[in-house]
Amino acid sequence: MVNPIPPPELDLQTPRDGGPGGSVSSHVAFRNLTVRYGTKTALDGVNLEIPRQSIFAVIGPANSGKTTLLKCINRTIDFISSARVSGEILVDGGDVYRQWNVYELRRRVGMVFPLPVGLPMSVYNNVAYAPRRAGLHNRRELDALVESCLRRAMLWDEVQDRLDLLGTRLSGGQQQRLTLARALSLRPDILCLDEFSIAIDPVTTMRIEDILRELKSRMTIVLVTNLVQQARRLADYTAFFSAGRLVEVGPTEKLFTRPEQQLTERYINGDYG
Amino acid sequence: MRDDVPNNTPPKYLLAAETAEGAVITLGSADSWEELLDLLAGQPENDGVPPMAYRLIRTAETEAAVKKKPRREYFANFRGAGGAGREDDGTESAPWWGLDHAAANLAARRFDDLPPLAVREWIRIRHKEPFTPGALERRKRIKEAVAEYVFLAMTAALVIPIVAILAYLVVKAWPALSFSFIFQNSEDSQAGGIWAPLVGTFFLVWISLIISAPIGVLAGVYLNEYARDNWFTRLINLAVVNLAGVPSIVHALFGVGAFVLAAGMGQSLLAASCTVAIMTLPVIIASTREALAAVPMAFREACWNLGATRWQTIRTLVLPNSISGILTGVILQVSRAAGETAPILFTGAALFTSFPYHLDQPFMALSMHLYAICTQLQGVSDSVQYGTAVVLIGLVLAVNGLSIGLRVYLRSRKKW
Ligand SMILES: Nc1ncnc2c1ncn2[C@@H]1O[C@H](COP(=O)(O)OP(=O)(O)OP(=O)(O)O)[C@@H](O)[C@H]1O
Ligand SMILES: [Mg+2]
Repeated sequence: MVNPIPPPELDLQTPRDGGPGGSVSSHVAFRNLTVRYGTKTALDGVNLEIPRQSIFAVIGPANSGKTTLLKCINRTIDFISSARVSGEILVDGGDVYRQWNVYELRRRVGMVFPLPVGLPMSVYNNVAYAPRRAGLHNRRELDALVESCLRRAMLWDEVQDRLDLLGTRLSGGQQQRLTLARALSLRPDILCLDEFSIAIDPVTTMRIEDILRELKSRMTIVLVTNLVQQARRLADYTAFFSAGRLVEVGPTEKLFTRPEQQLTERYINGDYG
Repeated sequence: MRDDVPNNTPPKYLLAAETAEGAVITLGSADSWEELLDLLAGQPENDGVPPMAYRLIRTAETEAAVKKKPRREYFANFRGAGGAGREDDGTESAPWWGLDHAAANLAARRFDDLPPLAVREWIRIRHKEPFTPGALERRKRIKEAVAEYVFLAMTAALVIPIVAILAYLVVKAWPALSFSFIFQNSEDSQAGGIWAPLVGTFFLVWISLIISAPIGVLAGVYLNEYARDNWFTRLINLAVVNLAGVPSIVHALFGVGAFVLAAGMGQSLLAASCTVAIMTLPVIIASTREALAAVPMAFREACWNLGATRWQTIRTLVLPNSISGILTGVILQVSRAAGETAPILFTGAALFTSFPYHLDQPFMALSMHLYAICTQLQGVSDSVQYGTAVVLIGLVLAVNGLSIGLRVYLRSRKKW
């Protein structure tokens, strides 16, 4: 099933009409989501709603299941054979396992994982890869798309005259931004970033954060971060996870200034984790 | 030098220097360990040739004799330019730079027995230039050299016989080797002329690979890219690996049963090709899987993440990055198919037939021809036998060389 690609000017002012479930207020919703890897429970009965066109931060100590949560949204969790998912994951009101076509879902959910992966092809082809697979072959449109994605990932200035360089030959931070550009190349409705900035220098990170604020009006951004301050700077809402359980969720300002749970307070103050 | 020591009381500690000639010269005496170390630290440095070693000696009340071996031995650089100390267990420790450094270290050292030296015992501090290898370093170097030579010897043991065999073959075959030997037929096999078996081998290789390469490569792709990791897949993999190790005569028997008899092909080029195909199939599957598995999983996952289907990922990412490895595996089977005699012995190779070959007729092949002129026919000259062997080996080497070249090329173009 091939999704017609919107024109390359990133005209996403209005969100695309919903998927199988039609338009609903929360963009992503987890209902009693439990994920087990073999016998290890990574997520335990999570109920969470992620509103549209917001930056939603997920914070929590190591092993709290943040990455697992992201992997559920676009079913990347399927790649792990030992993983067992129960409960419901709704994107645009449609159950990702029962109502969504998985390829369509993954095109609508951009994903950036912490380890940078430049594909073994040119920088240009890296970014053009997904649009081509979705049926966009017009060279002019592709050129414009590649440029706009690389600009948004703050990579354009560094690679604009080396677009034929192998993606695997870029530096670690550049590869990470390439991954971001690739995730943007399908103009996703939901952008999931898992510790996207660990390989990127602070100055560039700040610039990308500005871009994310700008992109917010066009897509829902789910941001997993170990930098508590990054969540505070960027996010409209923040969820705090610990040991696979959702401890607290709320508007970022409230969560950081008046947390309801003691655990949350200790984590954001750096006493625990 | 201490002037206030009464002459009738023997000193308790002595500091002595060993010269290059082996003489031991007393440099001074002290009443306590600390004093002795002060004395050591106060020795002039950078003063001409440093002594070989310093001795810290505890003497008896009555005699100045010492035990043969020092209680401990340390290393220091008397010129103060860097050096190394050695622990009691012989391991190297932090460097001792200069005599005052050595003295300070000795002072700070906790000896289990107090005072540090018993009567007649002594400590030697040897001069050592900085960065000279210590005992550990020397041992490492020796092991390294031994390892390298062992591996080199093994490689030589492998290469020398091969070169010797080749040289012997070529020398023996030299009189027979000529253009007409290879490209013409002889009526009676006696005078050489191996064109017919050469062409037969060519047909055999091509037909068998046309059968086995597509099946093998596609099966390898399925097993590596699509098949889930369950007991059934594991069983198939086990079967593939085991089939690859089965002797070729077993494949030959299978070929006789399945193709010659059951399928009614009779002894023919087609039956022999099918048998060789069966023989090469598991190896092609295994080498294809290996080439595919060399493409990191992270690349595939990145593509799936972008909504690419499995087939799109295989077509655009996995195959372009593994095709040379797959081809290498297939080409290696060319030489195997050309060289094996057993699988064609009962399935289609003839001692002597004539052109043209037909799929349903027996044919001649180089390996079979070699076997025939060496064991079955009388009066074939030595040089013709060796000449046939040289052509067969040359063929195999050329094909293997091609695959090695491909591998080198592939490595130079590696994209990650
Ligand atoms: N592929 C896997 N196989 C088995 N267990 C896994 C796998 N991936 C994650 N886990 C387990 O699931 C739990 C949650 O992992 P997850 O990666 O979601 O944590 P996280 O919150 O992202 O941690 P971090 O902040 O360190 O990235 C961990 O205990 C981990 O050991
Ligand atoms: Mg994580």
